[in-house]
Amino acid sequence: MDDYAIGVLTNVGLISFLALSAYLLLIAGEMSFGQQAFFGVGAYAGGMLTAMYGWPLPLAALCAMALGALAQFLVGLPTLRLRGLYFAMATLAAAEMARILFELFHFQRQLEGEPVGPDGTQGFRGIRWVFEHGVEPLGYLGIVYALLALALVAFLLVERSRLGATLRGVGEDPELAASLGVDVNRVKLGVAAAAGALAALGGVLYAHHNTYIEPRNFDIMLGVHSLAYALIGGLGTALGPLVGVVLDIGALEGSRVFHGYRMIVFGGLVALLLIWRPRGLLDERAVQWLRRRFS
Amino acid sequence: MTDLAQNTLDGLFLGSSYALLALGFTLIFGVLRRVNLSFGPAVMFGCYAATWVHLNFGAGLVLLAMVAVLGSILAGAYVERLCFAPHRGGSAIAAMVASFALWMQFEELATIALPRHVYDFPALHGGAPLAFGALTLRVESLVMLLAAVLVCALLWWILYRTRFGVAVRAVIDQPQAAQLAGISVPRIFMLTFALASAIGGLAGFLIASSHEQVTPMLGMWSTMKGLLAMMLGGLGSLPGAVLGGLALGLLEAHSQWFFGPQTRDLIAYALLFILLAARVPWMTTRSAS
Repeated sequence: MDDYAIGVLTNVGLISFLALSAYLLLIAGEMSFGQQAFFGVGAYAGGMLTAMYGWPLPLAALCAMALGALAQFLVGLPTLRLRGLYFAMATLAAAEMARILFELFHFQRQLEGEPVGPDGTQGFRGIRWVFEHGVEPLGYLGIVYALLALALVAFLLVERSRLGATLRGVGEDPELAASLGVDVNRVKLGVAAAAGALAALGGVLYAHHNTYIEPRNFDIMLGVHSLAYALIGGLGTALGPLVGVVLDIGALEGSRVFHGYRMIVFGGLVALLLIWRPRGLLDERAVQWLRRRFS
Repeated sequence: MTDLAQNTLDGLFLGSSYALLALGFTLIFGVLRRVNLSFGPAVMFGCYAATWVHLNFGAGLVLLAMVAVLGSILAGAYVERLCFAPHRGGSAIAAMVASFALWMQFEELATIALPRHVYDFPALHGGAPLAFGALTLRVESLVMLLAAVLVCALLWWILYRTRFGVAVRAVIDQPQAAQLAGISVPRIFMLTFALASAIGGLAGFLIASSHEQVTPMLGMWSTMKGLLAMMLGGLGSLPGAVLGGLALGLLEAHSQWFFGPQTRDLIAYALLFILLAARVPWMTTRSAS
């Protein structure tokens, strides 16, 4: 594989974490415009821990995930009772606040005579743990996909369990779920924390793949893209968001056929696809049909 | 004291451009119960069409304004056909994501047609600002405020004094009853979209000529400011949209003066977040799912 292909595939994997976190909220009935903020929290926290304090990447990643979970839990506390667009706008406001705070965030250490750390709008460069520890691009690709596979297995297990049924119940009809004794708010807060951790994990991996991050990386475009990936891929299975990401980044960017017209082609396809399948390619019906077919 | 007065004045003018954008947003939201993320990009499309005409034919201001409005209506009609007509009565999220997909299209189309990052746009007046004692006033700002007042008056007249307006209000209040009474809901959707896009196109033209430039960022900027102003004023209320726009303008002008541009935006988003979290009554009275 050439470096370009490896780069594209790694990106597909990274963004998939973000799409999965948007998907998790969608099946629990909440639409978030703000997942990019937790992706950013993970990127900054993980990058700072490895580059500034010399932590090993696995430990930094765990820490960043905990921080991402905490951040989305705290944002969720006052907002998860809001419905529909109100929740979407509250998460958007929170995410834009986070992006501006990244712009105002100057915190550097002198390491070997060089300043290292976030420098406001100048970004944060030198997140080199992966290079310094001799991880080849192909090896990093393997790490990203191993973690993604782990996340997917977790999703598939949860979806087959009682918890999965509870999640979809809360998403489809919260009043009915509440009348059956489900503590809707608690379920949603748990979902929010899990979604925050997933997004943060994607962010850590992203920061260490690019070695450079800046506040602009975490703007509204990224958040709405991940929401779109989850929706076009399909809300029937956790594989749906991956299909969405692969369609956009993989097929269109990888092929380079539509170079310069990529967004025009992709945008039109998405709009048409959603007319045909408003809950995405792999919606609940498609998933049931596939299950019957293959089991 | 002079600074305070000047900032208030500037905030009112800035706010009137937000109010125009929010009015367009609110019309669409009120009638369709859907958020059109492509509203700003459609406005940008109109402005780019006008810039293109200006560069190639050197057309005058009145013609440019017409091109901007027509371009915005055309783009709006395209969005309505592809994103909102098919999802009528269906999924709100699907409609919104589809409108985001078309946003991508408009942005790429704009950069293909006019590839430079910034293009000059002719100013309305271009001369020195008017002075009133210690206060200064740009002619563009005055025109903006005047346009906002006129558009409000016109909208009020359309909604409360014409048959079309009665139909629109019926669809807003009771869509099913309106349908049963023989109102063609799809037609009302289409016309509302055209009306909202025309307002957006006018707002875009005025904003571009007061900034004296257009960039592809105009799309995102218009969507964000329009959404913010609409939410602050209470979702789906037309007077609320105007008030929300003016409040946002005043807030931005004052906080920019005290804290600079980054903190200005931070304060605006923090206010929105706090008001939503506190569920203030005027913001959560309307169903938004």
